[in-house]
Amino acid sequence: MPSSVGIVLVSHSPELASGLCVLLDQLGAAPGSVIAAAGTADGRIGTSYDAIVVAIEKADQGRGAIVLPDLGSSVLTARTVLDDHPRPGVRLVDAPFVEGAVAAAVIATTGADLDTVIAAAQEARHATKL
Amino acid sequence: MPPNSDSAEATVVLPAHLHARPAGTLAKTAARFESRIEIAHNGRTANPTGILAVMGLGATAGTTVTVRAHGADAEHAVTEISRLLASID
Repeated sequence: MPSSVGIVLVSHSPELASGLCVLLDQLGAAPGSVIAAAGTADGRIGTSYDAIVVAIEKADQGRGAIVLPDLGSSVLTARTVLDDHPRPGVRLVDAPFVEGAVAAAVIATTGADLDTVIAAAQEARHATKL
Repeated sequence: MPPNSDSAEATVVLPAHLHARPAGTLAKTAARFESRIEIAHNGRTANPTGILAVMGLGATAGTTVTVRAHGADAEHAVTEISRLLASID
């Protein structure tokens, strides 16, 4: 089976990111397509430049990947990583963390291309819950 | 307007809430068809490939949803999507 577009979840909290990974798994995300880069190297709340570099490597299986930061320094660190290591198929996406990841992961399993996955994540901002 | 082979419609009474997991399955199934598909509930419509929009319909167990499709495989799409909706748990 051809690989799907990957998703990197950049979060301050390892628990937040791993919980979201479990949810995406339940929704049928392709195995290995969602990679968390969360917390500092020693497991505290924060972000790790090196963890983001490694996660992008893993998530991009040839179809590209989106990088979804939760907030604050996740955004700044992810942006720095992509500035330092630009990859044509990897994009930092401005989207709600949970909803954007859910929308992107589901559409990615259909074999959608990078632009379609990015659009799904961005459109999550406008999805109403009630 | 009379029905034609390029459009199809069916209604389904949901056996369970249209929650996250079935909405995910629905999105994946809907993406296999080339027809334009919509799910209508309580006066609102959603494209079934959008899991958030489908969850946003707030369709609960025992209520009716309408599946419509327009395109070459409309009939097949409505059959498959209706079957899926009728079997969620």
